[in-house]
Amino acid sequence: MSRSSRAVVTMPKTAKKGEVFSIRVIVQHEMESGFRHTEQGVRVPRDLIRSFVCTYNGNEVFKADLHSGVASNPLFIFYAKADQSGTFEFKWQGDNNYFTVVNQAITVS
Amino acid sequence: MNQRRQLIVSLTALSLCPWGSASAMPSEAMQAMQAIVGTSIVNTGRVYFELPPLVESGNLVAVKFSVDSPMTPTNYVRAIHIISEANPSPNVVSCYFTPLSGKAEASTRIRLADSQRVWALAQMSDGSFWRTSVDTVITLSACTEMV
Repeated sequence: MSRSSRAVVTMPKTAKKGEVFSIRVIVQHEMESGFRHTEQGVRVPRDLIRSFVCTYNGNEVFKADLHSGVASNPLFIFYAKADQSGTFEFKWQGDNNYFTVVNQAITVS
Repeated sequence: MNQRRQLIVSLTALSLCPWGSASAMPSEAMQAMQAIVGTSIVNTGRVYFELPPLVESGNLVAVKFSVDSPMTPTNYVRAIHIISEANPSPNVVSCYFTPLSGKAEASTRIRLADSQRVWALAQMSDGSFWRTSVDTVITLSACTEMV
């Protein structure tokens, strides 16, 4: 069983061909670094999102490798160039079978 | 060792920053950069890296990085890596761009364990590397917290 969580993607629904627009994605996740200890001195096991990929009609637009230094509830703001109408897919993968995917359609005129 | 001394020692071992022993020294940051760069030469400049000079909480530090590039299939920015000198693990985040990105710019939020120098290392499509560093002061480090 894979774990999932809430993800919010903010991007325009329509764009002009060739336009560069920003995409804002945020996903709910603790991003437990694996370097913290409880008051009893027990190490808290690592639980991170390891990768984020954004594809546009199957072609990669933006990708990120996340390490322990990324804050909880990882946020990314990045850009994409409108080419043709289609779908953006946002995919997060991480430790302990973490997997979240969000799809968003865009109309390019 | 008397009892009080023992107590102090055990308390120190417990309460000190759990990241302290494992923190990345500047040389570790250099090694992490070396692992990305390989045998190429790293130039200074071209990367714009925005990091607040004074941060209240190291748990949530907003960063923005970009490289001025036309982002055409023959000339674009392949990746920007963020490397920390004082975090327990030097690699913070690596962002990969493509010509479809249109713009080599990204913002995210990172954790910083201590006042330190943070590097932004960019890899261009022609194989060249560029880097910029920013020094920052953290008033509340991301490591003092306990669960």
